[in-house]
Order: sequence, then structure tokens, then C-alpha cells
Amino acid sequence: MIRFLLALALCGAALAPAQALHFQPLETIPVQEGGRKKPYLVFAEESLLSLSGKTALTLDGRSQPAVEIITGLWLQPEKWRTQPIILINNLALKKAANLDEKRKWFSRDELAANPSFLALLQKADADRRTAKDGKLTGLDKQVDEIGARLATFESLRMGDLYRVVANPAGANSQWSTLHTDDAVLTKLRAAFAANDDAAFARAASELRASLAASSPQFQPPASKLALEVTYQKLHPFRWAWILYLLAGLTLAVTSLRARRAGYALAWLLASAGLLFQISGFVSRIVIAGRPPVSNMYESVIWVAFGAVFFSLIFEAVYRGRYFLLGASFAAVIPLLLADSQPLALNRSIQPLVPVLQSNFWLSTHVLIITLSYAAFLLALGVGHIALGKIILGRKPSAALYNYIYRTLQIGVLLLAIGTILGGVWANYSWGRFWDWDPKETWALTALLVYLFVLHGRIAGSWSGFGLAVGSVLAFQSIVMSWYGVNFVLGVGLHSYGFGSGGFVYAGTFVVAELAFTLAAILRHRSSQTPKTIPTAESAA
Amino acid sequence: MPTATASPTISRRALIAERQRRSLAWRVIHFLGSLKLALLLLASIAIAIATATFCESSFNSKIAQAYIYKAPWFTFWLGVLCVNLFCVTLTRWPWQRQHLGFVITHYGIITLLAGAVIGSKFGFEGNVTLHRDAPPLDRVMTSRSVVQIENPATGARTMISFDADLSRPSERRPKKIAVPDSGLTIFADGASENLVWASKLIPAAGSKNQPGIALDFETKMMGQHLSLPFVLEAKGRANARDFFGLAGIAFLAELPKREPLNIDETQIVFAKFAPVVESPSHLKTGIELLLSADGKTLTARLPDGKTATYARAEMQTKPQHLGLATFTLLEYWPDFVIENGKPGSASMLPNNPAVLVRLDAPRLPGSGVPEKPFLEIAPSPDGIVYQLGRGERLVSRGKAKIGEPFALGWADWTATLAQSLPKAEIHSDRQPGPAGTAGIPGFRARLVASDGSKSEPRWIGSGDTVTLVAGKESARLGYGLELLEVPFTIALKHFEVPRVEGTETPSNFISTVEFQDPKTGVKTQGVAQMNHPASWPGTLFSVTTGLNYKFSQAEWNPNDLGQTTLQVLYDPGWLFKWMGSLAICIGIFIMFYLRPKRS
Repeated sequence: MIRFLLALALCGAALAPAQALHFQPLETIPVQEGGRKKPYLVFAEESLLSLSGKTALTLDGRSQPAVEIITGLWLQPEKWRTQPIILINNLALKKAANLDEKRKWFSRDELAANPSFLALLQKADADRRTAKDGKLTGLDKQVDEIGARLATFESLRMGDLYRVVANPAGANSQWSTLHTDDAVLTKLRAAFAANDDAAFARAASELRASLAASSPQFQPPASKLALEVTYQKLHPFRWAWILYLLAGLTLAVTSLRARRAGYALAWLLASAGLLFQISGFVSRIVIAGRPPVSNMYESVIWVAFGAVFFSLIFEAVYRGRYFLLGASFAAVIPLLLADSQPLALNRSIQPLVPVLQSNFWLSTHVLIITLSYAAFLLALGVGHIALGKIILGRKPSAALYNYIYRTLQIGVLLLAIGTILGGVWANYSWGRFWDWDPKETWALTALLVYLFVLHGRIAGSWSGFGLAVGSVLAFQSIVMSWYGVNFVLGVGLHSYGFGSGGFVYAGTFVVAELAFTLAAILRHRSSQTPKTIPTAESAA
Repeated sequence: MPTATASPTISRRALIAERQRRSLAWRVIHFLGSLKLALLLLASIAIAIATATFCESSFNSKIAQAYIYKAPWFTFWLGVLCVNLFCVTLTRWPWQRQHLGFVITHYGIITLLAGAVIGSKFGFEGNVTLHRDAPPLDRVMTSRSVVQIENPATGARTMISFDADLSRPSERRPKKIAVPDSGLTIFADGASENLVWASKLIPAAGSKNQPGIALDFETKMMGQHLSLPFVLEAKGRANARDFFGLAGIAFLAELPKREPLNIDETQIVFAKFAPVVESPSHLKTGIELLLSADGKTLTARLPDGKTATYARAEMQTKPQHLGLATFTLLEYWPDFVIENGKPGSASMLPNNPAVLVRLDAPRLPGSGVPEKPFLEIAPSPDGIVYQLGRGERLVSRGKAKIGEPFALGWADWTATLAQSLPKAEIHSDRQPGPAGTAGIPGFRARLVASDGSKSEPRWIGSGDTVTLVAGKESARLGYGLELLEVPFTIALKHFEVPRVEGTETPSNFISTVEFQDPKTGVKTQGVAQMNHPASWPGTLFSVTTGLNYKFSQAEWNPNDLGQTTLQVLYDPGWLFKWMGSLAICIGIFIMFYLRPKRS
């Protein structure tokens, strides 16, 4: 078997075209872009991602990594005018511009020569003047996105973005590009054109050395660049979801047989996933020099982390299996989204907007609020297990209901603290404690909804089953305050996290959850014999 | 959970049940503190505020505040919540150790809400725009819109809270504002968010004797339309104005003499040799002409980089235009030679192609800055005469009658003479602008006297003061944001905007301000930057109790770094909010995790 695989691998190597330049010497060269200095590899992957939505493309029958394409654009810009690397996903836009609807990528020249597309661009530009707050909607917005991609392409083609030469004027000054006739660049270009790997490696090393020698005091430390390259290549958050998924599957498969071994293995897998996540966070903190709380991507990752983290704590106390089972599946969804939707959830590390800068309260507030989301996500996962059991016709144990209650407690405590800390931060940063900003209001709404669920149980209006239903339904208010405020409402002071897209996903999620809960309720009704619901723990 | 069966609990329960049976007051308390009421409150408040966020998203935050967050019914409902929170703690009386967290949490919420009420009743929020070179200010602008009315008889001023944007008066639902002690009433019967100054040309009354015109400007490409009036000012001075920074327009008694922008130049252009350039004025156009090796195409390149390629054969039939330049091909020699001192062609084969081109084009400008275009207009017996040019030089001249459009050469703008009056003046008035234009908010007002006589309706914008006349009576009326005096002065010393590395994106805003207490004359410095407000007074007592004015960074002007706008907040409820917050967090923690274990 192994021999067969080896043979296959060798075969693949033999089939690959002779073109195989090595780009490692270029990878760690610092490039100043987007308000910070990043390794060339990261610059290349982020640039290609913004052009084509991917970090590698299949061109001329061969998969080319970002670093190869972006280097090609740098050294042989004119060749790339006709290469299909600009992503157009929107069907309506393709229809309106008479583009082939089956294709996803188009070249700069075919777009520039397309009169209907140019007319759409012009219309979007004209509409911007009359649009409310200059915000475009519908087709205009889609066209504008492609316009931005074209602009990025042009800046790359003109060489404007390859800012590798340190500015001796100061640490915050803008770096410049290499002169077109720069001797080393000319060598690099020649080696690239000749596809001469040895010469290319020599020229690239020479370039790196000469760049590092200019204004060495303003060069980022080599260790930090190396760390970022490693982080970029490792994809720790991808490993995390794979391991969580395996942990969840292990628990599911061993629920009847080999329970103890399965439980131990699941612990091991989930802990390994958690370690990958922690290493990812630490890398991001070291690279950015701040807590990872600035955008949607980071909060999504953090919530998944929190759900697994809490589940492991609960497992250590209760040994209940259900926490880890619920958490591993609940954590896979956000991590998978973050991994597969790079255009909606931007993973690049960017400088903080002024309002988020250097603030202890901010970090505490955001981390605690998102940890409460994590606890509610865990409650959602455990709630699903309970409701799933009911749909399958089995009766969930009282312990399972108690687990939901324990998880909800954590969430409520953290959400209350986080929301109030938000007030403290707002008082500090914006001068007032509470101003009914949509984000604050929705955090409060979510808190009220969960308090409603908990108080209803104390009042005896519902019991364990009600908690399970509540943990699923109330999570929709978290979806609203987490995703909806930024992506649906789009107003308010928390605008630094705003984005667009994903509405269909979020909507589908909410509808599916409602349908699932309804099914469980109907099933529960039909299985209930008419008897009085036992009153839960009375608070009196 | 199993119910506890220890005997003290039973006796306590019996006590609670007993007092409800005996006393009506306890029955009311148990009703007001009931969990059913709590559930109703939680659900209704959650639904109300969730609705408000959607309301804010589709309209604006003012509407959401007026109808929900700051509406009387919502405040009342929060009051009911406080009663519920208080009563529920009474229903558990006598408290036991297990009630500790529960009581702390519920009183914490009441304290927090009390802080909010105190803050909104006795505090205020506003902003102040400071300039580095301006004298210290002792008043700040609140966010409350007011109408200020001056009683014509007594001179007394009255301030009335009125926000046209919120109350949206209309002709069907006018808003009445009585002028105190005068029998006068002001009717607001229209609201607009984008009032602009509208100018129009009207026949002049009296001794004024200046001609005036109105021009309609239009661009189809950008879909804009604009009407501008011009009146010749006294002593023949020009009435000049700037056109969106795009060009200058001047209305004059007569057109000044200007030298043409274009000069004549001839070039003999060879495919294989450098061209021979000649110009009678010894000035250059700076245009490069290139002839292809086969002599079939000619490429022109203007100094601004604009290029075009023409087929030679076509050029021989008609002149070609590029920008402001015109190329006329006078001669073509396929095989250029000099014979007897005259140019000629040795053969019909394109061995040494050359062309002779006359250029009528702008002279090469001294600097690289493109010169600003202008339009000059002067009255003429049957309309106007005009000239268009760039910098100081003339490009073209023309005449226009009423209704005749003419092209301006600035993008696709055209101008049409709409009106021409021998004696004219310009009348400016606040009017709602067309949809999409930026303007200021305001309302339409009319003064009605006690005898029923009415004034003309007038639009009043925020910041305007106008006098309305109805019959024999009049009243002065001002509209705008309320100004509030503060017990100190504030001046901007320094404003700094650091940038994110390598970009122009601000990474912070730092205002250094100086406060002065007018009573003692003591000056103190404060720094307001993002996330770190400056406060006055900065004493430990006032910082802890929140009895101070906090200045935080609100707005800046990218075009004037000597100016900054700070938000001002005075919140005497601050301490309550903090204590309440702390109590809630501690209380929930105790309730969930520190409850005594029951046997």
C-alpha cells in the first residue's frame, strides 16, 4: 500500500512540468502594505486572495501558488493582462456584463475591453454620488467590488504595491518600490524569465540581503517574519477544526461500544485542536502586537475556541461526554466558515482603527462578550443533543438538562459582565455609559432573552425541555447581535467590524434552527402524557 | 431539583403564605414582584429595543430614540421594572444566606437604572468645536434643537425645545408655537433636511441700474442641473464666482481682450530622422509627432501624455483634433529629398517618408499644472457674448441668445442663457434643495397675529435668525442647537493626528486643551485622545464621583488640522451606574457559584 502511494507520488512529480522555481528566499522579505510590514509570502497570498478569492490558481493546466503569480505580476507584468485571475462570482453581474456565466475568473484585458462592464462601472461611480452615505447597493456594490479588484490588479501590474525598500526618514514613513532598472531586480527578472532556478535563488538571496542592509533600524525582526511565514503556512485554525471534528466523530461512534477508550481519544483530539488554536492566537498576538479582537474573523475563531475550552472544563468536572460532543460540532461550523470564506471573513492582520487602539477595557470587554457567545454556542450544541434525542424518540436524562443549565449560567454571567464592561469602555472611550447603540442594544436584548429563559424555569413555566428549546431559540439573538448588527443593520458606532455578505448562510441557519426546534416541540408534545409538569427548583 | 424538606424552610414558607392571606399590602407586593410580571417585562423590553434597532437602521437614531428609547412609555416601563425588581426582593423577606446574590443583583439593576435617570435628568451631552487660534470658549453646544423667540414688545427671549427633524410639521399637521405675552403665534408647517440658499434673478426696484443674467448649467453625463444668476456690480466690477473648483465664471460689462491660447507651428516629420519644428512666434506647442516607417500612420503625443494615431490618408482629407490641438496635413513625401533647395519626392516608394503638418495648439505651459478654465460673459443687445479660455489665454468666443445652449468644454457641461434683465438684483432665500443635495435641516414658519393677519411663509435653517412680519406686528425667531454655559473656559493648544505607518490613515487624534477656572484664574492642561477623555475638574473626588465634564474626541477636519470637535459629557449619575454594574456582576456570580449547598 505504502509502496503504491510512493509510486503515485513519484509519478505525480514526474508529470509536473519542468517549471519549478523555488520562492523560499523571497518569502521572508518584508513588504510594507496595509499599514504594517509583512513577509512577502503573506503579501502575495493576501494580494492574490483579494484578486481571485483563492491563495492558489490553476493556470495553463498547472496549480500556481500565490507567491508565483504575484512574483510573475511583479517581474513580467504585461503577461498577466490576459490571464484570468480576477474573480467575478455574482451571476447577475455576469449576466449584465455579457460574461460567460460558467466562468469564475476573468482577465484584466477582457474586462477592460467589455463595453457593458465598463458602462456598469461608470454607473456605479455615478450612483455613488447620490447614494445614501455614499453606500452602494445591489448590482452597483458588486460592480464596485470588481472595480476594486481591478484597481488592485493595476497597482500590482504597475509595481506600486511592492514596497520593499525601507524609508530612512522614520519608522512610520512610507516605504518605496525598487527602481525598475535596479541591478538586482534586473537579475531576478532575467532568472525568472529564463526559468533558471539556481540563478533565481541567487538573485533573490542577493535582493533580500541588499534590502535588509538599507535602514536596518527600521527593518522588522527576522524572527517575527519567520514566525508569520510559519503561521501562514501552518493554518493552525484549519487543523483545529479537523481535530475537533475527529473528536466529535470519535465520541459519536463510541457512544455504545468502547466508551472509555473513545472518551480518552476524544479528549486527546480536542486538546490537540485547542493547542493548535492557542498557538494560532499567540502567533497573531505576537505578529500584530495586540489581542486578537479586531474583526469578525478573529471573533469567530475565538468563539469556537471558547466553546471547546468551556466544554473541556465541564468535562473535567462532570465527565458527561455531552459537553465535548456538543462543543466539537458547534466549534467546527464557525471554524469551517472562517477557513472557507476568506472573502467574507478577512483573515489578514490589519492595524487597529483609532477607536480600538491601546485599550485594556476594550480587550477585556470584547473577549468576555465573545466568550459568552462561546458559552451560548456550547449550550446550543448540548441543546441540539437533547432535542435530537427527543426527535429520535428517546428521553434525555435530567443530567443532560442540567448540563444545559450550567452552560447557560456561564453565558449569562459573562454576557452581563461583558455588556457592563462595554458600558465602562464606552464611558471611557466615547464619554458616555450607554447610548442605545445597536450593538449594545442587541447585547442587552440577548441578555434579556436568556434571562427570560432562566426566569421562566424558576417560575415553573417550563423545565429541562424548555431550557433545551430556549438554548437553541435564544441563540438566534446572539446571531443577531454578533452577525446581524454588523452585516444586516449596518448602523452604529461599532462600524469598524462592519461587512457584507453571508446573509443567505445566516438566514438559512436561523430557519433551519427554527424548523429543528419546531420538530422537537411537536415530537415532545406527542410523546407527553397529560400530566402536570413538575415545578423546578423553587427560588423561595 | 427536589424541594427541600427541612423544617425552617417550611415555617418560612408558611409565614410568607400567611402574610399574603392576612394583608392586602403583601398581596400587592407579591403581585408586583411576581415572576409572571418579570417574564412579561423581560419579553416586552427585549422586543421593544430589538424593534428600535431595526427602526434606527431604516430611519435614523433620532426616530428610534423619540419613539422607543427615550419615549415616556419606555421610561414608565423601566419604572415598572424597578418596582418589580424591588418587590421581588421583599417577597423573599426574611432573607436567608442563599438570597445574598439574588438581592445584590436585583438592587444592582435598580441602582444602575437610577444612575441612568439621574444622568439624563441632571446631566447633558453636547459638543464643542475648538480652533487653535480662537479665544477660549465658555459654552458648549448641546444636541437639543431649540427655537428662540424674541418678544417684539418686551424684548424678552423665550427658548422652546423644538426639533423640526423629529416633529416633522407639515401643512396637514402644523405645529403651533405661541409667542409668550404677545398674542402672536408661529405656525411651523413644513420640514426639510436639506435647505440650501437658492438665488434667483428678479427685476430691481428703485435706483439700481445693473443688468443681470441667469445661466442654466447642465451635464448629462453626471445628470446635474444648476441655475446661477449674475448681476453686474457697481462701477462695472465683475461678478465672478467659482464653479465647483472646476472653472471660474465672470460676468463683466464687456469682454476683456485676451491673447489666444493656441499658437501656429509647423513640423516636418520624418519616419527616420528628427523633425524640423518652426513657429512664427518662437513659442513651442511641445507636441511630438511620429511617422511610422511605412509612412502610413502618424502618432501625436500631447505634453500631458494624451496620444492618438491617425491614418495618413485620412489626415490628407481633413484636419484632426486632439484636446485643444488641431493638426492639418499639408504635404506628404514618400521618398523625401531636397531638390534645388526645395523639398520633393525621389520616388513613389516609401523609402524616406516625411509629412508637413500645421499645428494649431496651446503653447507649452510653463509649469506642469493644468491651467484653470474660465468663462467670461458680457451683455449684448440681443443676448450675451462670451469667451472661453484657460489661464490667461483665449480658446474660443461666441454669442448666445435666450434659450440657446453652448458647450463649455469642461467635461460635458453646457450653459444656456435662461434670463436677461437690464435692471436686476439677486434674491437669496432658504429653499429645500433637490433630493440628494447636501443642505442643513430646518422648517417653514409663518407668523400669525391676533387680528388674523399672516406673514409670508419662510424657511428657517438651523443657525438662522429671521424676522417675520404679519400685518403691523413682527417677531424675531432663531432656530438651532441650544448653547449651554459651562463654569470654565476651554481653549485648544495643540492638535495632532498620528498616522498608521506608510499611509494617511489616522491612528489617533490627540487634542491638548487648556481649562481655566474664571473664579480663581487657575489654568490646567488636559489631553483628549481616542479612548482617553480629558476632564475638568481633574481632582480625585470629581473623577471618582463622576461630577466632572468629560471631553472626548468626536470629529476632526482633514483640511484644517488646527481644528477639532470634542464631545462634552456631564453625568452626575456616573457613580450609581458604576456601583450598580459592579453589584450586578458580583451578585450573579454569588447566585450561580457561591450558593450554600442544600442538604
